[in-house]
Amino acid sequence: MTAAISRAEFVDLLRDEIGLAVAAEDLGRTFDEVPGWDSLHLLTMLVLLEKRVSRPLSLPDFLDAASLETIYELVNR
Amino acid sequence: MTTDTSAALARLRGLHRDGALAERFDEVGPLLAAMSAEDAARAARLLARADLDAARELHPRLPAVRVTVTGHGTLEALRVALVGELARHGYVPSVRLTGFGSYVFELGDPGSELYAEKPDLVVCVLDHATVFDEVGVPFTVEDVERVLAEKLALWRGLAARYGESGSGALVLNTVPLPRLWQARLLDHRSRARLGAAWRRANAELLELGASADRVVVVDVDPLLSAATELSDPRFETYAGAHLSDGLLGAYARELGHLVRARTGRARKVLALDLDGTLWGGILGDDGVEGIEVGHGPRGEAFRRFQGVAKQLASQGVLLAAVSKNDRDTVLAALRDHPGMLLREDDFVRILANWSPKPVNLRALAEGLNLGGDSVVFADDSVHECAAVAAELPETVVVHLGDDPALHAATLLADGWFTTTEITAEDRARTRRYHEEAARSEFLAAAGSAEEFLAGLDVSVRLAPAEPGEIARLSQITLRTNQFNLTTERLSPEEVRERAERPGSRVLAISAADRFGSNGVVGAVFLRARPEGLVIENFLLSCRVFSRGIEQAVLSAVLHAAREAGFAEVHGRYLPTAKNGKVRDLYPHYGFAPVEEGARFVHDLGEIVGVPAHLTLHAEGPVVPEASPEALTI
Repeated sequence: MTAAISRAEFVDLLRDEIGLAVAAEDLGRTFDEVPGWDSLHLLTMLVLLEKRVSRPLSLPDFLDAASLETIYELVNR
Repeated sequence: MTTDTSAALARLRGLHRDGALAERFDEVGPLLAAMSAEDAARAARLLARADLDAARELHPRLPAVRVTVTGHGTLEALRVALVGELARHGYVPSVRLTGFGSYVFELGDPGSELYAEKPDLVVCVLDHATVFDEVGVPFTVEDVERVLAEKLALWRGLAARYGESGSGALVLNTVPLPRLWQARLLDHRSRARLGAAWRRANAELLELGASADRVVVVDVDPLLSAATELSDPRFETYAGAHLSDGLLGAYARELGHLVRARTGRARKVLALDLDGTLWGGILGDDGVEGIEVGHGPRGEAFRRFQGVAKQLASQGVLLAAVSKNDRDTVLAALRDHPGMLLREDDFVRILANWSPKPVNLRALAEGLNLGGDSVVFADDSVHECAAVAAELPETVVVHLGDDPALHAATLLADGWFTTTEITAEDRARTRRYHEEAARSEFLAAAGSAEEFLAGLDVSVRLAPAEPGEIARLSQITLRTNQFNLTTERLSPEEVRERAERPGSRVLAISAADRFGSNGVVGAVFLRARPEGLVIENFLLSCRVFSRGIEQAVLSAVLHAAREAGFAEVHGRYLPTAKNGKVRDLYPHYGFAPVEEGARFVHDLGEIVGVPAHLTLHAEGPVVPEASPEALTI
C-alpha cells in the first residue's frame, strides 16, 4: 500500500506551511530538538494533514506524539 | 489571478527559506495583497515566525503597529492571522499574546505589562467557555443568567479600567451561543429563555461599544453567517481553543481594517466600472434602453449593487465612474434609465472616455487632490483589474466576477472604508465636492487668482472646539495627509482630552463661501508652555487649500498670543511622504527656524495680517491662558 503522504511531501508541508526548518533526517528528533518548535504547531498540522489525506486524525494522539516521525506514522497508519 | 497568487506565495516562501523576510519586509505587503485569502493565510504562518523586531528596525519608514491579544483560551491562531492581516496592509506588526488565562489580571491591573507596553490596540477575546466553565453540571437557564451577569460586570469593570489607564483602544467581541450548549436543554421554552438571556448579554456588550470611550465591540455574529464554524469541539476539548481558526481569521480581517481606520488609512474613493459592474450588457452596443438594470433577475442584482454603492456614498465615500464609453451616452443612461438607483449626482466624477483606466484613475486622484492610496477600484474585467494593479500598486483593486448577485459580497469582503465614526461632514461630502466643482468653474471663468478669491466671498470661523465638533476634528487628524504639520493622529477621546486640559486649546476652523458652507475644514492644537505658546499641530482639509485660510488663522492665533502676553509662539514640522507642501509654512509667515526644517519660533514682533479677500470671525478665547512662566516680563 502506498503512503497517504510521502516523507518528502510531509517535510515540504512542515517547511512551507508551518515554517519549520527541518529535513527528512530530522523527523526522528524529539520536539525539544526541533528549532522553533511550539506545541501549538500540532493544531495547525492536524488541520493541514486532515485536509491533505481527507480523513479525520486524532488530536489526542498528536498531542501524545514524541516526534515528527510519530506524527508521520499516525498520518500513514 | 491564480498565477499571481501562487507566484506571490512562492516568492514569500523563498524569502522565508532564505531567512530574508525581515530584510525584505517592504516586499511583504504587496505580495500578500496579490494573494488569495487562502494563500495569504498560509503566508501568515511563515510571517508569524519571522523576526518582526528586526523588520521594524530595518524599515523605519513602514508604519509600525503594536497589538496585544488577551482572552480566555488559546489564541495563537488569532496572533498568526493578525500578523498576516496587518502585514498585508503594509504595517510592520508586533502582536503579543498575554499568558494563558491572564486577561482579568492584565486588564484589571494598571501596573501590568499590558498597560506598560502601551499597545495601539488591545484585543480581549471573549468566548462562550468563559461563561460555561462556571455554570456547573448539570445547569439550568438561571445558572447561565447568573454567570452572564457576573461576567458582564467583570467585563464592564475591565473596560472602565482600560478607559482610565489605557492608551489606544480596547476591542471586545460579542459571544455567539454554540448549538452544543443550547442542545443540552431539552425543552424549547428553556432554549428560548437561554437564547434571550444570552442575547441580552450580547446587546449590553454592544451598548458598551456604542457608548464607552476607547472601547470597540466587534459584533462577530455576522462573521459566522459566512459559513465559518464557531468552534471545533476537538480543539476546544484538547487544546482550550474555543473559537475556530476560520472565525479568528475573519475576526483578524476586521481588526486589520479597524487599525487602518484608527491610523488614518481608511480609503476615501470607490471608483466603479460601469458595463458589467453597475449594469449588465454593453452600453455602447445595447443603448440606454438595452442595458440590464432594475428589471429581470440580473437587472435586479445590478440594482442592488448600486444600492450598496449609494449606501457607502451616504456615509462619506466618494463615488467615481471610470468606464470605456462615450461620456454623453453614460450621462444619458444615468439620467434616463428608469431602473437606475445611482444617478449623475451620486458620483463626484464621471470619467467615461477611451483612455486606459490607469490614466483615468491617476487623473481622478489628482483631480480630487488625493493619493492613489485613497482609491478602491472595482471592475468585472480581469484584464482591466490586472492593468490597474500593474500600473497603480497603491490602489486597491477588487475584481468582481461575472455574477452581479455576488458583487456586494466581493466588494464588502474587506472593510476598506471602515471608519471610526461617521460625522455630519461625511453625510454631506458628495454634495460638497459638487460645490467644489462649481467653484472650479468659477475659477476658470475668473481672469486671475485674485479675481477668483475676491469673488469667492470666503468667510472663516475660528473658535474653541465644541462638543459636537470633537468627532469631526478627530477625523480631520485621521484623514488629512497634506496640510498636516505633524501627522499626529488623534482619536475622539484624545481630541476631547486636549480640548478640556488646562493650558491647552483645540480650535476648529470652519469655512464658507458664496457656493455654500465647507463645514469644519481644519484644526489648530495649542498648548501653553514655559517657553511660550506651542502650536502642536495645524491641519487644513485639501478641499480649501489656496484660499488664504491658513494665513488668516495664523494671523488670529499670533495676535491672540501677543494679547494674552505670550513671549513667543513655537511651531514644529514633522516631514512625511505627503506633507511636503507645508514644509515652509512657518518660515513663510515670519517664524524663524530654531532647528532647520523642524522647529520654528515667532517673536510676535511683526505679525502677518488677514488677507483682504476673506472675513475672519475669531470667537471665544483663541489661545489658552499663559502660565506665569510663559508671560513676557
